[in-house]
Amino acid sequence: METPTIAQAADMLAAHEISPVELTQHCLDRIAAVDSRLNAFIAVTAERALGDARAAEARIMAGTARGKLDGIPIAHKDIYGTRGIATTAHSKLLQGWVPTEDAVTVAKLAEAGTVMLGKLATHEFAMGGPSFDLPWPPARNPWNTNHFTSGSSSGTGAAVAAGLILGGTGSDTGGSIRGPASLCGIAGIKPTYGLCSRMGIQPLSQSLDHAGPMAWTVRDCAMLLQVMAGYDPNDPASANRPVPDYTAGLGKDAKGMKIGVVRHWHETDAPVAPAVQAGINGALDIWQAQGAEIVDVVLPSLYEFQATCFIILISEAYAVHEPWMRTRFNDYGERLRSRLIMGGLMASSDYVQALRRRQELCSIVAAATKGIDILVTAGAPAEAPPIDGMPLWANMDKPGFTQPFNVLGWPAMAVCSGFGPAGLPVAIQIAAKPFQEVKLFQVADAFEQATPFRAKRPSLAAISPAIGKGLADAGIILPTSDLPGLADVVADLSATASKLKGDRPYGQEPAAVFSLAKEA
Amino acid sequence: MPSITSRDDFEALVRRTGITLTPQQTDTIYQGWTMMAPQIDRVRAHGRGREAEPAHIFRPDVFGTEEV
Repeated sequence: METPTIAQAADMLAAHEISPVELTQHCLDRIAAVDSRLNAFIAVTAERALGDARAAEARIMAGTARGKLDGIPIAHKDIYGTRGIATTAHSKLLQGWVPTEDAVTVAKLAEAGTVMLGKLATHEFAMGGPSFDLPWPPARNPWNTNHFTSGSSSGTGAAVAAGLILGGTGSDTGGSIRGPASLCGIAGIKPTYGLCSRMGIQPLSQSLDHAGPMAWTVRDCAMLLQVMAGYDPNDPASANRPVPDYTAGLGKDAKGMKIGVVRHWHETDAPVAPAVQAGINGALDIWQAQGAEIVDVVLPSLYEFQATCFIILISEAYAVHEPWMRTRFNDYGERLRSRLIMGGLMASSDYVQALRRRQELCSIVAAATKGIDILVTAGAPAEAPPIDGMPLWANMDKPGFTQPFNVLGWPAMAVCSGFGPAGLPVAIQIAAKPFQEVKLFQVADAFEQATPFRAKRPSLAAISPAIGKGLADAGIILPTSDLPGLADVVADLSATASKLKGDRPYGQEPAAVFSLAKEA
Repeated sequence: MPSITSRDDFEALVRRTGITLTPQQTDTIYQGWTMMAPQIDRVRAHGRGREAEPAHIFRPDVFGTEEV
């Protein structure tokens, strides 16, 4: 069975075509078969998952299902606190820490009946990977395991793309949902700042942190966000406003929308690869054909947003980590500690200047986008780079396409827009005005429905857990392209070997005996 | 403090954090710090007045109680 989307699974569960236990077991089998090569999971909570699934099954059979997510297997980025289950932030500093409370969003998803499969890899404390000096290895890209997933919600990106989970949680401070969604070929939304509670999630930078869902399709993201969104009086950033029906615009086209393309971001400020440009152009053609109006928009340079975002982020993150930075500096991985320390070197006036610049950028963008419903640019500059040999200061000198919407607080999502010459996915990024997620989902879904990209999953062949473990134990990392062949060979060998099985006496001699060489 | 920091000034800033770095760590992080200079210049470079408001505001209704 191929892993279904959340929407497909919800229909199958409602029609009793599959049970939550069967669906959960499918995911557990797939995790066992392939995750030794992906490292998407830090911990698999199989017993908890099967317990959740049995409870969901009882509700469905009794006609008391809690909604469309009842019985849907998901997993959480390991910065989301989970009561009674270790939450590590992928760091030695939290290794073995077991929270006494669920994060608010974890509790909401559990209350909706989701099945929790486990905890997912992240960049350490949601920043700075890929790192090879942490207690767990970094997640790898299922489209080619020699390549990077981006981060920091790296495990969620890899696990969704590989069909190990139907959806999962991520967090996004400078692009940590949309980056891995882009490079892993899935959908991921950073909602409006304040829409989803951050309580119980390890903070990175409180004024830029966003929680949000990641899944195979736009519709699945809308279904997850429906449960995750909502006011939390314990989160000072939480927005006290009604939660609309995020699926309301799905299945419609983009007719009547005014879509602004920020061409200079991806053509001049940080020119993208041809495949990314083709994806953007393709999306604009599709929306225009559906009746949308396409206009060019000029906004401040990506470099302005990068500087503002990074200085705020690093200053706030250092304040979070300062006590441990002083006492346990070398327990952090090199990539995180080398970045974090800069927050301790920064002048307070520069932090405030960045906050002032943030205010200015918000005003400039608001004025430049009057009457515009949607903004479009790239999700990432190119296909995923190789995971090995990424420079320590990678991306310090290049602005990202995701940071503007953390600075602005606008909702933005990455959607797969095709594949590059190496066969890896590329993505567009679509953004909307604050709290306009319904429009955002509508336009993203209109693009997704008009393209064939959701029909193609990574060809990550399922090989047995034993083979996977053997490869991992031997330190062998095969290119994804080699795995279907290996899986075929293993299957042939297994079939041949099975023909030799039979009852033979315990003491029966084999045909071959050890023989000393004859003397000359 | 200039956005371009000399090696001596950088080491003084590090000492102020109370974090002890090895010489190799100092080399590595100094390299990254020099890459920060253009970003610091960008947020400083605008002609805003000294009274300009930042994006973040304090809201007593969020952090305190409504009753006095």
